[in-house]
Amino acid sequence: MDYPLIIATACGAIALYLMMPRGQGWLVKLGALIGVLALASGLSYLTHWASVHYPAQPAAGPGIFFYAFALITLASAVGVVCHPKPLYSALYFVLMTLAIAGLFVLLMAEFIAVVLIIIYAGAILVTYVFVIMLASPSGVAAAAVDYDRISADPLIAVLVSFLLLGTVLETLFTHTPHGFIAASASGVTAHAAHWGGLAALGKNLYSRYTLPLELAGVLMTISLVGAVVIARKNAPHTHMLGLGEMPAE
Amino acid sequence: MMMTHATSSFSDPVLVRYLALGAVLFAIGLVGFMARRNMIMIFLSTEIMFQGVAINLIAFSRYYHNADGQSFVIFLLTVAAAEASLALGLVVMLFRQRQTLNVDAWYDMQG
Repeated sequence: MDYPLIIATACGAIALYLMMPRGQGWLVKLGALIGVLALASGLSYLTHWASVHYPAQPAAGPGIFFYAFALITLASAVGVVCHPKPLYSALYFVLMTLAIAGLFVLLMAEFIAVVLIIIYAGAILVTYVFVIMLASPSGVAAAAVDYDRISADPLIAVLVSFLLLGTVLETLFTHTPHGFIAASASGVTAHAAHWGGLAALGKNLYSRYTLPLELAGVLMTISLVGAVVIARKNAPHTHMLGLGEMPAE
Repeated sequence: MMMTHATSSFSDPVLVRYLALGAVLFAIGLVGFMARRNMIMIFLSTEIMFQGVAINLIAFSRYYHNADGQSFVIFLLTVAAAEASLALGLVVMLFRQRQTLNVDAWYDMQG
């Protein structure tokens, strides 16, 4: 058992529970405070863990940029989940996507970072914002309605997911030095010669993953057709799908 | 204790930090998925979980110097885009029927 880790996870759980939309402002501030506490304790646990298990690398941290981007990512993810107004949540999601793209650049996956910005921040989020605008009950997209102000079962949700998180982190930090990473680290240098960059990714996609790539194309086509079928108003065969009458607009 | 990798710039502690970040992101998305009542917010929470998984894949790709992880993220983005288009179409269709985005309004769909 790793009590500091469990305490940090529990602090995060309490923070997220307090910050879930409930219609009371001071609870959110308290939750944010506990969240900062959880982050700090998790960070100190990480440093301690690294100094215990990897004493040969005294300053083996990933650098300031990782921490900055990780902080932005986590804070804006909490903002997405906890903000009572969907439009602001979508904007927090854009911020999170940008921070994750920064992390991908740090991981030498520049193409994925650009693709992430184009697809997520560019395409998917614009779709989300349009739908939030279209499907807002009062016509005012930025107004919070009651099912946004009060979340459903924050206690159960936080319990379940932070139990999962605690298990994953416990496994990660307890078994890592002798676990899956060490076992398969010998086969690393096979691809190391020509690894990075877009050329290797494209070659990999079109040689090893040709069939999945074609299947992805088929999936896009199917979802395109499905989206058109779903979005059609007053379709002649709507009653066969059991959708009932569309309200007149 | 295990020795450092051939690529000493990206060592095990760094990888573990990225994996922990992905796990935390997944947990936050899971909380949003279960606790929010707005259908749009539920789908947005699944996107957060997608991003956590993508961080894991890219970090392993960097660690093993292997492009497979990046290829998987390409597929992940494809599936996420398809899912978003279909799900948002469904949300708009459902909203037209009952004029609300509350998932509890479709409680009678449990069969």
